[in-house]
Amino acid sequence: MQRNQIIRTRLGWKLLDGIERLVSALWPARFKGSVGRVLLLPAVLLIGILVIGLGYMIEYSFHELDLSTYRLKDEYSLVNYAVIADRPVYMRVLNRTLLAALIVSVTTVFLAFPYAYMLVRTRSALTRKFLLIALFLPFFIGQVVRAYGWLIILGKQGLINSLLEGLGLPALNLIYNYPSVIFGLIQYMLPFAILLIVPAVAAISEDVELASEGLGANWISTFRHIVLPLARPGLIGAFVVVFTLTLTDFAMPEILGGGTTDFIASAIYDSFFQLSNAGLGAALSMILVMIGSVIVAAIFYLAGTGTLGVREQSR
Amino acid sequence: MRGARSKKIVLWSIIWFNIITLSLPTVIVIGASFTAGEIIQFPPEGFSLRWYQKLWQLDDFQPALMRTFYVSIICTLISIPVGTLAAIATVRYRFRFQKSIQVYLLLPFTIPLVVSGISMMIFFGEIRILGSLWPVGMALCIINLPFMIWSVSASVNALDPELENAAYNCGAPPVQAFLTVTLPAVMPGVITGSMLMFILAFNEFLVSLFLTDSRTVTLPVQIYNSIRSIITPDLAAVSVIYIVIALIAVWLLDRLVGLEIFLRSK
Amino acid sequence: MSMILDTKTNRRTVLKTGAAAVGMLAMPSVLRAQEKPKEIIVRAWGGAWGDALKAGVADPFTEATGIKVRLDFTEDNEIKPKIWAAVDQGRVPPIHVNWDTTTNATISALRGATVDLSDLSNLKGLLPLAKPSGLEGYPLVNTYAYVYVCAYRPEAFPDGPPTSWNVLIDPKFKGRIALYDDGIGFNPISVIVGGGTFADIPDNMEPGYEFYRKLKQNEPLLGEDADFTTWFQKGEIDVACTISVNARAAKESGIDVAWTVPKEGCKVDTDGLWVPKGLPANEEHWAKEFVNFALTKDAQQKWCSMLGLPPVYPGIEPPADLVGDPSYPTTPEDFAKLVSVPSPVLVENQPIWFAKFNEIFQG
Repeated sequence: MQRNQIIRTRLGWKLLDGIERLVSALWPARFKGSVGRVLLLPAVLLIGILVIGLGYMIEYSFHELDLSTYRLKDEYSLVNYAVIADRPVYMRVLNRTLLAALIVSVTTVFLAFPYAYMLVRTRSALTRKFLLIALFLPFFIGQVVRAYGWLIILGKQGLINSLLEGLGLPALNLIYNYPSVIFGLIQYMLPFAILLIVPAVAAISEDVELASEGLGANWISTFRHIVLPLARPGLIGAFVVVFTLTLTDFAMPEILGGGTTDFIASAIYDSFFQLSNAGLGAALSMILVMIGSVIVAAIFYLAGTGTLGVREQSR
Repeated sequence: MRGARSKKIVLWSIIWFNIITLSLPTVIVIGASFTAGEIIQFPPEGFSLRWYQKLWQLDDFQPALMRTFYVSIICTLISIPVGTLAAIATVRYRFRFQKSIQVYLLLPFTIPLVVSGISMMIFFGEIRILGSLWPVGMALCIINLPFMIWSVSASVNALDPELENAAYNCGAPPVQAFLTVTLPAVMPGVITGSMLMFILAFNEFLVSLFLTDSRTVTLPVQIYNSIRSIITPDLAAVSVIYIVIALIAVWLLDRLVGLEIFLRSK
Repeated sequence: MSMILDTKTNRRTVLKTGAAAVGMLAMPSVLRAQEKPKEIIVRAWGGAWGDALKAGVADPFTEATGIKVRLDFTEDNEIKPKIWAAVDQGRVPPIHVNWDTTTNATISALRGATVDLSDLSNLKGLLPLAKPSGLEGYPLVNTYAYVYVCAYRPEAFPDGPPTSWNVLIDPKFKGRIALYDDGIGFNPISVIVGGGTFADIPDNMEPGYEFYRKLKQNEPLLGEDADFTTWFQKGEIDVACTISVNARAAKESGIDVAWTVPKEGCKVDTDGLWVPKGLPANEEHWAKEFVNFALTKDAQQKWCSMLGLPPVYPGIEPPADLVGDPSYPTTPEDFAKLVSVPSPVLVENQPIWFAKFNEIFQG
């Protein structure tokens, strides 16, 4: 047994040495400065496929639809962008989307933090398991089915309104409006946010907190001055993810909005599919991607890159 | 201690609010799937397994389920090396245009899925790989890749760079340092990320819609198409099957590596 | 078209007609030369729609030819770009036959994505409705007419069915009304109920837009086929403008729904079948045979009576529950009560109407 193990270990080391030699032959030390870029290459290439797609979109967006052939005209024009600027509805839908993205991301991060915190800090293994399972299960119920569940709960003849009726109270309009879309999105985004915040909380040593409380700070100021600043990378990461996912979401407004609270992704969908106007859809997409990227870049410059970035204090 | 009690009350009331909003639709859907009636309702009308039976007897259900597993596994397998390397690169190495690259890496989230779906359909059609299943897995990996990168970089962040430096200083060659110090340290992130990638691929319908046809259709696409005309309780039954798969996965993970792996940072 | 081409088509048509006269089951030699594919894929709407196509056309077709028919329930708007991209890139399209709205089919025809069906043997003797208007030949063939009726919950109308579409702006039903999410099926009606006339379409749509602005105040829900059923089921709405098939299917599944044609009329439209370009020759042949099969008397009878819609094959009796129903037009007088906008007008103007509809309701 033991001999075997030694041989195996030796083999392991030999193998490792071999890999080491191979790598150094393929990758001489003088290239060391570019290791980061090389590690990044596969991801950059994969996402490059989306960039190729954006290339198509840019091209389409500069051609007008010819209604007699339903193809884009050959000549270049700015018609699609002019149409978007000309129709106030696009501005309103865009504003509605941006506002929702802001509300949803702030609320979700606020709600997710205590959950992530308790998940890390609880001493009971049972509580932890319970919290983890409650976190993971909703992932497996698609947005559509979840929305149907909400209809049963929040509908005009749903569980809550039957309850109100039983108490002799007037029925409420709880679904198919803007607030219900926001609510649905928060519910959908919550697990993502929690998962992104957990590692940040886990990285905070509990001793630091105890020290702060030991020095007489109450928990609110410990949170404000110690825990939240240390968890900042996770909070920013969660914020950015929820913000961008909400900004481009299509399903939730479609099914909980009752058809009259479209987000910009719905307008893009309609242009491509209802109107068969790829040029207009492409122009709307370009505008949305630009806005999203600029906002993300601004957050990264102002607040650091969150989970993605380097821990500033360690350098 | 009064402070500790108020902390507990505040945090736990928020947590309970979360748990209820997260679980309520799930409970409703599980209940509704056992209805004997024709429509999704809660409380269900009677009890029966008829909708499960109907589901299982559908010609296309089992192959579609298998294909869904297949594309989800491809998606996860691609994302593990690609995402892990990218995460290590963004956290550990300095290069020019760092922030621009971060914005670039987030493109899968800033491009609406409809647009990603259409443009990948056109590109894959152009290079004649549309119609195979593996490009679907790759596409699902692309649109969710930021989740993998972010999960792993959270772990890389938590890893003290001094540990790696120590390995180097003790004479460990770079690959060895990577395999023996860096990789084990980022494992929690890799597992969280893989789990997410798998789950998301398993549920994705919008991009898959454009990359599959009726011979290669996956389960979420089939569900999406079928609810466009009529919604019946078999939809709830599918969800329950998903939940069962999820529970098995969570249980397996707990037995194999322990659920705490999500929380370990060092 | 040149004479030579004409005679060629004619000769082929004659050949085929002769072949079909021998009978589908006998498999004449002209057809036997075409290698049979294992299956063909037909895009269809799901629910009651798909059930009708399966029982009325697909299953009998399989029985007659041995070719399996797979129904693809991708939504009609979503299959469009998939087919177009395939045709443009010279790939094999994802389906063999598209069951489509005439408007969308016409758009695909204009785009050059459809195969000409003029040589189908069963086109002869069909009602004029079968011929697509504004297009040369048969890039698609219409298979039946359907009506966007006013569906309502009888419980909410104790004094009898609504007589005017003005019911949609009655404050009594605030938040309890529904339309399709692009206004399809209601666009021409809105002009008439808004005080305009049929002659105003498409040049003066303003009365319709004015009606929409009032309608918006009444907080309608906007959705698709499945939504209407769900909303009636869950008591979310009392009135909706939807296709009679959906209302009838809902009623048959036990939901309390009835329908009517108000005094302003309802929009009548057609659906059709078409075959995309780019299929291997033998598959294209059998796809066309499927369309041809759908135009036989038996197929039309079964398919359309399950849908509850008037077929393009002449002389078929309506199903018992729809005799005399205004949503089942058969005579010219019946059609006169309905509003029919020619496809070319729809193709050119519907995008504008959709955009305006969105502008009003998303504002």
